Amino acid sequence: MSLPGWQALHEEIEAFGATVVTVALDVDPDHARPFAEAAKATHPSLVDTTHATNAAFGFSNIPMAVWIDEDGNLVRPAEAASIEKAIGRDRPIPDGLPDIVVKLFEAVREIPDDGEAYRAAIVDWVKNGASSRFALSPEQVVELSRPSGGDEARAAACFEIGNHLRRTVSADAAVPWWKEAHRLDPFSLAYKRQAWTLVTTPAGADAPDLMQGPNDVYDTNLVDTVTNDGGFKAFIVRPHLGED
Amino acid sequence: MIIESWDVSADEFHRSTGWEPKPEGLCRGEICVPAPGALRSDGSFDVRVAADRLGMPIVSDGEVSALGPATLSGRALATAVAADPELRTFDGRPFRLSSLRGKKVILLAWSSY
Repeated sequence: MSLPGWQALHEEIEAFGATVVTVALDVDPDHARPFAEAAKATHPSLVDTTHATNAAFGFSNIPMAVWIDEDGNLVRPAEAASIEKAIGRDRPIPDGLPDIVVKLFEAVREIPDDGEAYRAAIVDWVKNGASSRFALSPEQVVELSRPSGGDEARAAACFEIGNHLRRTVSADAAVPWWKEAHRLDPFSLAYKRQAWTLVTTPAGADAPDLMQGPNDVYDTNLVDTVTNDGGFKAFIVRPHLGED
Repeated sequence: MIIESWDVSADEFHRSTGWEPKPEGLCRGEICVPAPGALRSDGSFDVRVAADRLGMPIVSDGEVSALGPATLSGRALATAVAADPELRTFDGRPFRLSSLRGKKVILLAWSSY
């Protein structure tokens, strides 16, 4: 995840009447703020403290993106949005790391490497608009958005009420609601990673915990989820770029 | 949408969910879902009727409820018209994506975790 990379893309496309907008799915803006400030963005840099954009656009994980045309219509549904090769993907995993770290490394390396093709697709659309082969029709956008029925909608409501109780009552008050959101919408890694990091980051830590290992609050954790449930790649919504 | 009183106005419902209560129904983009009883002739609004018509789940904890998204298409999106939730800048100012009409927008969701 590289915010400076997105700022560089913004500088490349803004002359064509386009803008990058970044939105942090973070219930506490202070957790995202240091990363946002370090990126020195000249594009809108926003925060979504209620995860309202998850259900509104179909974001189930991060990073994901949608494309919106000049008239406010989506031309790509939510899909995985890396724009550069992940650092370390091609390097060997260093010896001597704890098993849990090696497992996560391995899961990350299995994520399909669509970054360069996805970045090129954005630039193509910015320059060619509706005639770009990457711009989809309204019907295709709806059809390719993530399957979402009663369970997923209820999960969104459970996440939201948990978040509200976290603010107004206590951190503990969110937990049963967030567990229910995880149960109802197991594909949404965003709801899970948000919950896990809040309980696995030590108080006073400089940065949020990315490892999100076994914990006393949730009976799930990142390492087990991405190694036992088909890997990170099982949660990735790959951009359809070749056949569009 | 968080609901602390069932006395939700049509405007609040529109701003929070993107669905605009009109005499012909609940409308977003090219879609209008008939919803008799949601918007009354005196202008008052029944959020529970609207939620039922749009397939929006309601969960409650004591006096507080949350309204989930509409479930009409079996997909996350009911229409390609982009949602316009109220977001914030890092200094707390409200920001709506609709303020960027006329530009192409790449909206990237990221996180600290």
